[in-house]
Amino acid sequence: MQPLVDTIAALATAPGTAGLAVLRVSGEQALAVSDRVFRGSAPLTRAAGHTLHHGWAVGPEARDEAGGERRLDEVVAGVFRGPRSFTGEDTVEWSCHGGAVPARRVLDALIAAGARLAAPGEFSLRAFLHGRMDLAQAEAVADLVHAETESAGDLALAQLSGGLSRRVKALEERLLTCVAEVEARVDFAEDVGGIEIPEHVREEIAGVLGELDALLESAPWGRAVREGVRIPIVGRPNAGKSSLFNALLGEERAIVAAEPGTTRDRVSERLVISGIPITLSDTAGVRDARDPVEAMGVERTLAALEGAALILWVVDGSQPFDPSGDPLPAQLKGRNLVIAVTKADLGVVVDALEPWRAAEPAEFRGVHVSAATGEGMIELRAAISVQLGAGTPGGIASAVANPRHTDALARARGALSRARDLSEVNGAAPPGEIVALELREALAAIGEVTGRQASEELLERIFSRFCIGK
Amino acid sequence: MSDSVRPEESAAHFAPSPGAPASALPARARGAAVREGSFDVVVVGAGHAGCEAAHACARMGLSTALLTAQVSDTAKMSCNPAVGGIAKGHMVRELDALGGVMGLVTDRAGIQFKMLNRGRGPAVWSPRAQCDKALYSAEMLRLLDGVAGLEFVEGLARRVRVRASQVAGVELTDGRFLAARAVVITPGTFLNGVLHMGERRLAGGRLGEHAARALSDCLAELGFERGRLKTGTPPRLLRGSLDLAALEVAPGDDPPEPFSHWTERLELEQVHCWVTHTNARTHGVIRGALHRSPLYSGAITGTGPRYCPSLEDKVVKFPEREQHHIFLEPEGRTVDEIYVNGVSTSMPEEVQLEFIRTIRGLERAEMLRPGYAVEYDFVLPHQLDATLQCRRTRGLWLAGQICGTSGYEEAAAQGFVAGVNAARMLRGETPFVLRRDQAYVGVLVDDLVTREHREPYRMFTSAAEHRLLLRADNADERLAETGHALGLLSDDQLERVRERWAAVEDEERRLARVSVTVPGAAGDARAVRAIDWLARPEGSYTSLASLGVEAALPRGLWAALEVRARYRGYIERQRRTAAAAAALDAVSLPDALWSSELHGLSREALEKLRRWRPGTLGMASRIAGVSPADVAVLMVHARRFAARKEPAPAS
Repeated sequence: MQPLVDTIAALATAPGTAGLAVLRVSGEQALAVSDRVFRGSAPLTRAAGHTLHHGWAVGPEARDEAGGERRLDEVVAGVFRGPRSFTGEDTVEWSCHGGAVPARRVLDALIAAGARLAAPGEFSLRAFLHGRMDLAQAEAVADLVHAETESAGDLALAQLSGGLSRRVKALEERLLTCVAEVEARVDFAEDVGGIEIPEHVREEIAGVLGELDALLESAPWGRAVREGVRIPIVGRPNAGKSSLFNALLGEERAIVAAEPGTTRDRVSERLVISGIPITLSDTAGVRDARDPVEAMGVERTLAALEGAALILWVVDGSQPFDPSGDPLPAQLKGRNLVIAVTKADLGVVVDALEPWRAAEPAEFRGVHVSAATGEGMIELRAAISVQLGAGTPGGIASAVANPRHTDALARARGALSRARDLSEVNGAAPPGEIVALELREALAAIGEVTGRQASEELLERIFSRFCIGK
Repeated sequence: MSDSVRPEESAAHFAPSPGAPASALPARARGAAVREGSFDVVVVGAGHAGCEAAHACARMGLSTALLTAQVSDTAKMSCNPAVGGIAKGHMVRELDALGGVMGLVTDRAGIQFKMLNRGRGPAVWSPRAQCDKALYSAEMLRLLDGVAGLEFVEGLARRVRVRASQVAGVELTDGRFLAARAVVITPGTFLNGVLHMGERRLAGGRLGEHAARALSDCLAELGFERGRLKTGTPPRLLRGSLDLAALEVAPGDDPPEPFSHWTERLELEQVHCWVTHTNARTHGVIRGALHRSPLYSGAITGTGPRYCPSLEDKVVKFPEREQHHIFLEPEGRTVDEIYVNGVSTSMPEEVQLEFIRTIRGLERAEMLRPGYAVEYDFVLPHQLDATLQCRRTRGLWLAGQICGTSGYEEAAAQGFVAGVNAARMLRGETPFVLRRDQAYVGVLVDDLVTREHREPYRMFTSAAEHRLLLRADNADERLAETGHALGLLSDDQLERVRERWAAVEDEERRLARVSVTVPGAAGDARAVRAIDWLARPEGSYTSLASLGVEAALPRGLWAALEVRARYRGYIERQRRTAAAAAALDAVSLPDALWSSELHGLSREALEKLRRWRPGTLGMASRIAGVSPADVAVLMVHARRFAARKEPAPAS
């Protein structure tokens, strides 16, 4: 538990799709921190209390090609000056566009600007400690903190089960050994001796750093898992996209007609496959559209491919595969694909390898399905989840999804890279107690993810590795 | 508990290790054997904890009795003849800055001085001194003899007399009674002590000395939860029987640096130590006799320290090691006794002699006293508050090994804390508690009263999360104001400390203004600020003169200046985390809170909190099993509790 000295930030509305997402920033530096992210007609530090300000949230480091700041979202910032605020401290409430992504990006920017991700119940706790709640409410605060922690704990635990947990714990183990090696030399100089940071410890530090990099690279992906991914369904007109879309959703959603080109706009629906929230979007069939209305739909379809984690390509299996004149395969090159060869009930004449050759995707899996009979639908769902998991080394199970974990691992990486730089100083021996300081900071940050307090184990490790007691 | 098997012999049959020579006994010690009466404070035990406690109480103006079995054994070094070492040396410097005595006595009795960890940054440099152990006792006696209000009483404590949960005094085995308003118990390994040598079990606290069994029974009657710990000591050899000329010499520092801030300089001829090693034959003897070791036969039930294993343990746990270091340390300048550092053992005497004689230089060694393991009772320290006072019995303080620690310095630190707090309570003053970012002494006490301990607790620098702030070089900067406020440092001493640190700051500012020309990366010459050059790995205060910059700071302050220049950024970082931690330590939790209903806490946290009854939110946060969320919930309860306690405003 941190005392009330720093500035905290968190999403105040429930995650998920809604009209608005509200972020709350509270603390002595709330206005100053917010100003590093907010671009409006005037800085928030100069704003009066209880006022609203329209503007843009910008990324702290990201620059566009012209060297300008990268806009993250259009926002309305509400300024509340302490003690007349929910927490009793200076507070900024950011209204962002709904959906997880814009608010998430703004929150990241605020944390990069100096805020700390709030602990469960921390806003309420601060409100209470600043006298914004009376005694009758105090008990409720205690319960609230407890309840929020419990649920956050469950969530973290669930995310930690499986690959990620194993990977992070393995890193913690390795790091603990590094710390033990360095601390042993500081505390038991006469017993252990040798050079300050031995070569194998340096190598281990670099190794753990590399692993942390890989884990953090998975963070945006993991977040998509946590917050959902979008999968466009594409294919030629009348390939059976809408039927498949409906079959996957299990309900009549898109207009299904025998006339090619019926679906002129994207239709989106949410579903969950293997615990991954998915926004499935039906698109207009792509061909050299002559109809101007259809042409617009086609343009939108191609736009829908941008940034999609996975594309479901629907190919009519009842007709011989002929990619000539089809603009789609070229758009799918190097993408992550599931190829659904449809109309299996009508007799399949297409091998999934044919469209694969035409498109040359980076990753793919082919399935024969029939929306009419349900044949192959289980396999299709499996293929989608496998292809989503293929995006990270070790699969989805080991991706970092929780922003608290990302935050902690990023701090661990920071401390560890400082330790590495220190221990690679040429010439003079690096001071062990300083390297140890950074290593212990990294260990403590990783401990926030695993929930382990390693200080007692540290001695255990020193005594088991080194014969102490001259 | 240990009492199930009573040892059949008494350790008193052996010749004890020598204490202070009779000629060194102070005049006031005469009559100690019959003295009784009424005191403000009675300190039971005149070891390293007891001496600090009694000294602090008497210096703070209280009539104080220091009770010990034999006055000549005052401040006896039961194990190694050295004070200090990594992290321990830091504590001695801290005690010295607060007005304690260990540093002063060490400077007077030291025969070899060494700054450990010189190869690392100054933040973890740690002083250590080999001492003449008889001289150490004599010098401590001489120092205590000069303190008004301090009385030596010779005798054995039988029980602590308690009335209505308040201490009333100490009853002695010979029927005398010492009435007291406060009692500090520092029995070391004597509390129900049992010595092990092979199959032999002897009742005693040290070889040749009786155990304090009645006192332990008394603590049990008072309702204290006790545990059992173990430690050990190596054999002592006759110097003349060793072939020291064949061995590598380990010399002291030249010039030697004093421990105490109040010692101007040390003038002494330093003695040598020697280095030798065990070998395959030594290990063979040990392996062949393992069945006779009480450690492996199951006779010893107490937990021993992992950081100070017996040779048996080393051989068994590190079978791949072909040899282990041994330091041969003289126990005095005139005493013919050599301490064999590294071969603590509880093997039978004849096995000890056999393995000792396999070691180079020791082939014809004569053993003066065998090594042994000692098991003793301790009081689980969750029963103490942050001043080391017992919650169960007011006015009763514990310090030293009875709280589960090991080491002279750890004992002295607790003795000081207990003594000062006993005095302050009797004077109606607020408790004296050092924070973890202020002193290792604070870390020690806080660790004791917030953690579970399974082995004797020893201080390590890695126990201090604010390690870079807690340096041996700045102990006086950190603590002299406190020592002065306690009444243990004179105005003059405080003034000297202020002058020293003003000199460091002036020098720091001056070096930020002058520049030096040093080789650049490309082999060119570059001008940099002298203070920045000092911050580089190759920079040092001594070499400033060769670069044409005047360097007139006294030698004792060089390290302080260098560490400030070199670690500025890190020190700042640690200051910030320390400030955040201090904010939690500033929130006090009333003891009555633990008897009230506390919902919203996890079951595990509640159980732990009610056992440890932490006095501050910071202490609560350090108890294993108490999560950050539990601390947040506690914060709410503390605030609510405080608000309820406030009297309703008059209508």
